[in-house]
Amino acid sequence: MDHLRLLFVDDEEELVSAVVERLELRGIDGVGATSGDEALHLLREGSFDVVILDVKMPGIGGLEVLRTISRRYPEIKVILMTGHGSAKDNEIGRRLGAVAYLEKPVDLEDLLMTVERAVNGEAGGPDGQ
Amino acid sequence: MGSDDHRLLQREGVLFFGNVIAGLSHELSNVFNIINEMAGLQQDIVGGAQPGSTDTADRLFELAGRIKAQVERGETYNRYLHKLAHSVDDTGIAFDLGETLELVSSLAARPARLARVELVMQPPEQPVTLEGDPFAFVLMIYGSIGAVLSAADSERRVEVGAAAHDQAVRITITSADSLPADVIDESAAALRIGRAAWGMVHTLDRRPDAHDSVILDLPVVAPGPHATADDEGQEDPDVT
Repeated sequence: MDHLRLLFVDDEEELVSAVVERLELRGIDGVGATSGDEALHLLREGSFDVVILDVKMPGIGGLEVLRTISRRYPEIKVILMTGHGSAKDNEIGRRLGAVAYLEKPVDLEDLLMTVERAVNGEAGGPDGQ
Repeated sequence: MGSDDHRLLQREGVLFFGNVIAGLSHELSNVFNIINEMAGLQQDIVGGAQPGSTDTADRLFELAGRIKAQVERGETYNRYLHKLAHSVDDTGIAFDLGETLELVSSLAARPARLARVELVMQPPEQPVTLEGDPFAFVLMIYGSIGAVLSAADSERRVEVGAAAHDQAVRITITSADSLPADVIDESAAALRIGRAAWGMVHTLDRRPDAHDSVILDLPVVAPGPHATADDEGQEDPDVT
């Protein structure tokens, strides 16, 4: 896990900052972004193994970012997160290439387990979602 | 207010409540998620995820402040819910214009943020007391702000202002962008409720330099009885 580079994207700045700090404390290279625009900028500037994306954000939403990632950076694994689960978002996300879909609140250990499964080529979240 | 208007108010009211409560519920979930993550961070720090750290107490103190700020944010959303719930208590009461506009602009803050529009509320310079149906008032203003937000283009800034003169109030919702002539159609239901409950008259003020406005003129005291029964005297089965 410590060789991976993660991008965590959510429009709640405090959430992003807390998650990135927790990743750092585990020796994981985590970078935060608080908008779809910022995420796309970071993706252009650097390389990432996994992107964890909030679906609903002002401006460029998670599904739109996912669409760009699938087209331009198909090697990156994408995990979607949402505040209120929507079967439709889940279905669209899967179709666009997301490897897992998690409902908030996301437990960090579950998230990291999902990341590990994603990079090992095993689809689904901690509960096989 | 006639029976058709009363039914419209009820239908639009339910849609409005659904929309606003979904938004506030989402915001409250965000607050809980952040607190949850910060609690996890505190556990990581105390649990020694960073062995040998000398600034643990400072970090915990700083995190406690951030958690407190989120609790205050959650309390604010809860206050909006409370005020909104009580706006349907009476159809003919006195209420403060500035406080009510602040409530409406707070409720509209989430749709504005999602639309990436800066929403600014300028309270009236002097306190103004209105008398009538506060819920119909909230619905009328929220719907009108929504229509102007959805027409935002490149400038993406909307300002809500209010001024009282004699026994009348003028509420101005100004976009930094041009507004299309049919912008008012977007809020047709809200404006009809405003006309029926408040005798409100609306105009669209279009200017050559953009900064177009939807203007709502209404009396300080809503005309007619503020009863919930319809004008034809039919008994409303939902009102006891």
